[in-house]
Amino acid sequence: MTAATQAVRRRVAQVMGLPVSLALRGRHTDDSRADDAWAAAMATLHDIDRVFSTYRNDSVISRLRRGEAAEVPAEVPAEVAEVLAIGERARIESRGAFDVVRDGVLDPSGVVKGWAVERAASSLRGLADTDFCLSAGGDMVVSVADPERAAWRVGIEHAADPTRIRAAVPLRTGAIATSGLAHRGAHVVDARSGAVPTALASVTVIGPDLTWADIDATAGLALDREAPRWLATRPGRTAYLQWSDGRTQTVVGQAGCPAD
Amino acid sequence: VQVELTVNAGKVTDVQVVQYPSGNPRDQEINSYALPVLIQETLDAQSADIDMVSGATVTSVGYAQSLQSALDQAGL
Repeated sequence: MTAATQAVRRRVAQVMGLPVSLALRGRHTDDSRADDAWAAAMATLHDIDRVFSTYRNDSVISRLRRGEAAEVPAEVPAEVAEVLAIGERARIESRGAFDVVRDGVLDPSGVVKGWAVERAASSLRGLADTDFCLSAGGDMVVSVADPERAAWRVGIEHAADPTRIRAAVPLRTGAIATSGLAHRGAHVVDARSGAVPTALASVTVIGPDLTWADIDATAGLALDREAPRWLATRPGRTAYLQWSDGRTQTVVGQAGCPAD
Repeated sequence: VQVELTVNAGKVTDVQVVQYPSGNPRDQEINSYALPVLIQETLDAQSADIDMVSGATVTSVGYAQSLQSALDQAGL
């Protein structure tokens, strides 16, 4: 059987206010193991949402925002400390453009999504001889179990027209995330100045894990004109930029360069 | 990992990492990832032959009209 004829089985659910899509190929696509792995991945996302949601009054993050849990550091679960530490590292590495605290309000959402999907994907890695692609609102983790099978082909949405594809990326393992202003308006700002990007329309980052691909896409968009220079310093990532004037640009990060 | 939160008037205003865990497996993982990524530009969405779509966050509301939704419908 050739890769092109490999059947893809798909599932969709709504979690954290986002459409979560799973595509499976290979041995376990439609059996009870696939069902169990999908259920486990969704349970992981629901659990994380209960802890991190800024929309739920009873989440740990909402309590932190009200200053309730911070008095007793021991009450902060390890996973919250992990996410906040990632956020702090992202702030330092992005020179302040990315920050989980904005205008004095804690909002780790920019870290949580990619990190959560990366965690949820671990349930799918247990499916023997099965390829998966797990996406939450356009940010995804991909895996191809069999070197004989073709890579997943991920389309990058056109920043000016979400009904079109601007580019395609063959991916076997790793993650891809896109930040843009197309669907939700000005939800990304430079945390230092509060400025909304104007020169950049969209940033796609491909890398080994979704936690950092997602952070780098958001930080890159926030950095606007500084994005190419900054993204070029990011180890192991490749970025695809769509500028507001219609130009596109590929930036290969340091250690991501091919050997030759 | 240890983090220190600064609370001002009931709000978290700062996050400081006091201590990172020693050794960072993530760095090693990233450094070992050196596969060239091929990005193929396309002008024709219909012939792009794609499995998934990466784009600006599609909310549950916008999902129904999205390309990803069309792909998902095709494989359900």
